[in-house]
Amino acid sequence: MDVLQGLLHGFAIALQPGNLLFCFVGVLLGTIVGVMPGLGPPATIAMLLPLTFLMQPATAMIMLAGIYYGAKYGGSTTSILLNVPGESASVVTCLDGYQMARKGRAGAALGIAAIASFVAGTVGVIGLMLIAPPLARLALAFSSPEYFGLMALGLAMVVLLAGRSLVKALLAMLVGLWLAGVGTDLFTSVSRFTFGQLELLSGIDFVVVAIGVFAIGEVLANIEAAEEGRILPVPKGLRNLLPTLRDLRDCRFAFLNGSVVGFLVGVLPGAGSTIASFVSYGIEKAVSRRREQFGTGVVEGVAAPEGANNAETGGALVPLLTLGIPGSGTTAILLAALVLWGFKPGPLFLSDNPSLFWSLVASMYIGNVMLLVLNLPLVPLFAQVLRAPAYVLYPVIVGVSIVGVYSVSTSLFDVALLAGFGLLGYVMRKLDFPTAPLILGLVLGGAMERALRQSLMMSGGHLSILVTRPIAAAMLCLALLVLAVPLFARLNTWRLQAMEEEK
Amino acid sequence: MKSVAIVLAALCALAAGEASAFKPTRTVEVVVHTGPGGGSDLLARAVATMIEKEHLLPVRMQVVNKTGGGGAVAAAYLAEKAGDPNTIGFFTGVWLTNPLVTEKAKVTLRDLTPIARLVLEPALIAVKADSPYRTLADFIAAAKQKPGELKQSGGSITSRDNVVRQLLQQATGARWAFISFPGGGERLAALLGGHVQMMVIEPEEAGEHIRAGNLRVLAQINDTRLARFPEVPTLKEAGFDVPNVPQVRGVVAPPKIPAENVAYWEDVFRRLTRTASWKKFLQDNQFEDGYQNAADLAKFYDEFSARMRGILKEAGIKTVR
Repeated sequence: MDVLQGLLHGFAIALQPGNLLFCFVGVLLGTIVGVMPGLGPPATIAMLLPLTFLMQPATAMIMLAGIYYGAKYGGSTTSILLNVPGESASVVTCLDGYQMARKGRAGAALGIAAIASFVAGTVGVIGLMLIAPPLARLALAFSSPEYFGLMALGLAMVVLLAGRSLVKALLAMLVGLWLAGVGTDLFTSVSRFTFGQLELLSGIDFVVVAIGVFAIGEVLANIEAAEEGRILPVPKGLRNLLPTLRDLRDCRFAFLNGSVVGFLVGVLPGAGSTIASFVSYGIEKAVSRRREQFGTGVVEGVAAPEGANNAETGGALVPLLTLGIPGSGTTAILLAALVLWGFKPGPLFLSDNPSLFWSLVASMYIGNVMLLVLNLPLVPLFAQVLRAPAYVLYPVIVGVSIVGVYSVSTSLFDVALLAGFGLLGYVMRKLDFPTAPLILGLVLGGAMERALRQSLMMSGGHLSILVTRPIAAAMLCLALLVLAVPLFARLNTWRLQAMEEEK
Repeated sequence: MKSVAIVLAALCALAAGEASAFKPTRTVEVVVHTGPGGGSDLLARAVATMIEKEHLLPVRMQVVNKTGGGGAVAAAYLAEKAGDPNTIGFFTGVWLTNPLVTEKAKVTLRDLTPIARLVLEPALIAVKADSPYRTLADFIAAAKQKPGELKQSGGSITSRDNVVRQLLQQATGARWAFISFPGGGERLAALLGGHVQMMVIEPEEAGEHIRAGNLRVLAQINDTRLARFPEVPTLKEAGFDVPNVPQVRGVVAPPKIPAENVAYWEDVFRRLTRTASWKKFLQDNQFEDGYQNAADLAKFYDEFSARMRGILKEAGIKTVR
């Protein structure tokens, strides 16, 4: 079936009233799940799975996929408004998104997040539609050494996330890497840094650290300065609550960057949306003309990672649908759903079930439009949250944080950890340590350690495997280059200064 | 004649009702040690759906994911629920093997109440279709020629994949590397990408890749040949006399629950394994019926643990229990 014919066939199915309805149900549920920190798409889809046995497989797939990409839209909301990242992929969104909210531009940040999500989400679907099979074969060229290179590149981006002091950023990152080491080691089943605590055997959940360090830390730091009744200014009038034309112009490159990076990283089964969001933020900052303003609330700093996060969905469906290989928790449960409905996911899935594939693709175009229409009007509504006085808003943030953490693990130990990391976040703010590198170290640390040790097992202990494989070597070179960028910039400043002085 | 049958059936129902006066009163919590989409999670959700369809429980079942520590976290959670009649858990062989090497795994399967063993999962030894190895003997010979150079992708070192490797290595003297990947998808991707040469794979997962000509099966890890792989030799038939290591799955309850509750749960799962939906489920997934009642399951623990301890010790892995 060629693309146009397939797509028309897909739309014919996806536009049936029942399918439209469940597409809407899916994206609506997704948005809600995304907005609430804690409860994620895998758990939601797993809970709804029994219901889908009563549906046509195409309808069910349309709904479940809607939850998956719908959640990506909602994820940015609490990051921007409350500095509470709902999932690991929206940690970077906090950096500039929350700063925009503090400047009274919460509406613009939320709006641009929705628009970037729409643009990149759509590009992701186009990619899935046009180049899925060849791309999936290409993704198989990636194995542990290549993933190590990719993670190293991600960590090198810390330099770009750093505030004034690179040393402090690197220290924070190292603490994050150490936290990633807590728990049972996959390779030897040895427990590390668990201090006899059973709860630590499964490691420290990223959600606990991110919410503690970002949200609780922020609340603690703000209580000191909160004599005034209202913390964040919210401008009056609908027009001031949406992104301006200038914002859109500033984001032109970010839309493209987020779409392409998100999709490509998504195709790799071992990478995921977190690394996609960090890498696209890094690229955005590296090429930006106002690099030094990143982290103070620039609109591209929201658009790039939010876009990447959404384009990743289309990418992640590529190995799932063309090879039957899931790359994340959500795609694993989608795979399980396909099996339970009686399909055989694998390399022949697309040619055996073209109409399911095309109706899913078509529904994703429709779903992305629905999400934009659903989310843009919500922007002014959400922005009103910030009108609440501090004595209301701060307890709400703390409450949302605790519920979010508890809902993931139903463990009070994690709530105690949350308090501990909240204090850590407060101290880091006081001492001017950037917090994002800590989170990045934690999120990438586990995967990076695994990739390195797998590489060494493959090579019989020789580090050379990391540089003799072309893709891995290229990634590592790129990482070095990223590390060198600020160095060159500094050299250039010195040179200019020297020239000034000579004059 | 008909009325006699009805009376008999009613009497049986009455007897069964008396044997277990206990009935769960609220939603039953089903504890699994994998995240959504993992093996135990999927089995638990499938069982919950079948039990609902066959009306075997008066209440609903809700799956609770307690991941981490190779089952240790889930086992400890069940131990905390001591005496709770509305909680059960799904275990796998890892729950038995992992405490053998993990000192901190304080709760072992033996501390929980056995209910039933449900399935045994066979597996296949597969290579990429363009691989030079046509038989398992070819692979072993190549591994002998270049010790440590060939690679196998799999789960953790206490997983069935590695146990099979250890057994084959001990029996033949060949040596190859074992590379751990946490997710099944990554293991398969490593094989298809040519980064490793062999993997132990579940028949259902391999099926479509075999049909598409991506994979070739060298041997099956099962006592008899699977219906859908009639031409593939078992390990024994391929000339390797190593013990069969099935992946085992079953049901346990928290410690210290009354005997009538044990009898109730035993009865629910015995009845489940006799339904048509269960038989179809086994067939669809190419699982073997591994049903054992509580008493036999307790005996199985000892036998399985002893065997695993021996295998791990010989492999040079330190055991703590």
